[in-house]
Amino acid sequence: MTSSSAPSRKALSKIATNRLQKELVEWQVNPPAGFKHKVTDNLQRWVIEVNGAPGTLYANETYQLQVDFPEHYPMEAPQVIFLPPAPLHPHIYSNGHICLDILYDSWSPAMTVSSICISILSMLSSSTAKQRPADNDRYVKNCRNGRSPKETRWWFHDDKV
Amino acid sequence: MAAKEEEVAAELEAVQAVYGDDCVVLDSYPPHLHLHINPRTADVTSQQFVEAVISIRAGSKYPNESPQINLIESKGLDEERQKFLVTYIRDKGSELYSCLMLVALCEEAVERLSLMNHPDGDCPLCLYSLVSEDDQNKNLPFMKLMSCFHCFHCECISRWWNWLQTEKKTNPSGSSSSTMHPARDNDFKEDVEENMGNCPVCRKVFHTKDFEHVLDLVGSLPSQLSSDANEVEESKNLVYSDSENIRRQRFEATLKLQQEIRGLIEPRRDVRISPGMYLPQPTTTPADVETKESNEQQQRDLPSASEMHASSSQRRNTSEHRNPGLWRKKRMHNPRKPVKQWIRKENMSAE
Repeated sequence: MTSSSAPSRKALSKIATNRLQKELVEWQVNPPAGFKHKVTDNLQRWVIEVNGAPGTLYANETYQLQVDFPEHYPMEAPQVIFLPPAPLHPHIYSNGHICLDILYDSWSPAMTVSSICISILSMLSSSTAKQRPADNDRYVKNCRNGRSPKETRWWFHDDKV
Repeated sequence: MAAKEEEVAAELEAVQAVYGDDCVVLDSYPPHLHLHINPRTADVTSQQFVEAVISIRAGSKYPNESPQINLIESKGLDEERQKFLVTYIRDKGSELYSCLMLVALCEEAVERLSLMNHPDGDCPLCLYSLVSEDDQNKNLPFMKLMSCFHCFHCECISRWWNWLQTEKKTNPSGSSSSTMHPARDNDFKEDVEENMGNCPVCRKVFHTKDFEHVLDLVGSLPSQLSSDANEVEESKNLVYSDSENIRRQRFEATLKLQQEIRGLIEPRRDVRISPGMYLPQPTTTPADVETKESNEQQQRDLPSASEMHASSSQRRNTSEHRNPGLWRKKRMHNPRKPVKQWIRKENMSAE
């Protein structure tokens, strides 16, 4: 079982590298509104700053997303988690794991970091209550061995928030 | 008033005569119709990258009031081009104010759409452009899904498709190892999905038949297929590649037939037998046993072979002794087996 701190020990494939470089260039020209990514040497892990959208519960708050790319990106979804402290949200667990279908079952290789970011911001923006998921404690306890959210079998119950 | 109505009715008839089934009249007076427009090149399906359905709805004051133009649906058009198309037809409508304009508007729509008949910017999978204007030589072959007209490099979509198949084979019941919520039961879906896929961009369902021909294309161009696609564990690849290839061959035969008669057909199972198609495929027995066996076989075969091709077989001979592991990998060259062109991909990756 892989750990969440090093989900992809395998280096990026050539195709993954090409694609990520392309995404990086596109990001630099046209970053999604509300996001900042400090470019580092590490193409395989992006740490992205998220600013809560004005007029939402998360306005003026800043969080950090950690995006880890697997060897066969974009065939496989990247692992996306919030670094602590994770925003209080009905679909975000206190360990930073995000319950969002496109990151798991509904991933498509036509999605990009940029489109993921927009989905996450929209998820934050549509929240009506700052609270943890009902099963937060149980889930987080289950993940104490460092399990990656990609190994969770998610059950997507609610698309309103 | 009646005279005007008659004129409009005659005009509507003219539109129907020109467009036939592509024109659906929802209301005869005031006229309201849906027009399915294709670019003028649409006779050659492979040259068609866009299509659209527009609604033309005239009010009771027509033609002294331009009809409302709306886009009902479209394929292959990005938002910008969609908007441009509608705006263009609306502008024409204002220009022709007070004239009977239905036929003219339809013609303009087709004309405009024909000018827009080119694939959408980048391949959604690798993000590199489908058609580069500066260097035609750099262009990789691309294809479109008939269900939605989304275009992809052939190489990219085949890689994705093969990836999905491998995933399904290795992980038939889903990707996760443990559950925290009860997971949905996927078994039913599997059967249906066998011949279906979802467009990576819009998730619209397509039939795998739509791009079987592309899988062939990539298979026959191993140099274009980056080594990456083969990085998926080789053994897994080998296990299912035989059955996979038989399937591909069948599709190829069907496709060829379809091209000959220019139409869709049901695969005919009794004819079109390709060489080797129904031969029992060699199963991958435990490697050690078979390696020994084929080594012995090879040594028995060698003397006669060396008489004929002394130099080459000598080389083979020495390398075999030096590196028995290499020989194991080359098992597929065994002269007893029919060498088929479509095996080349696996050979390339094994070497």
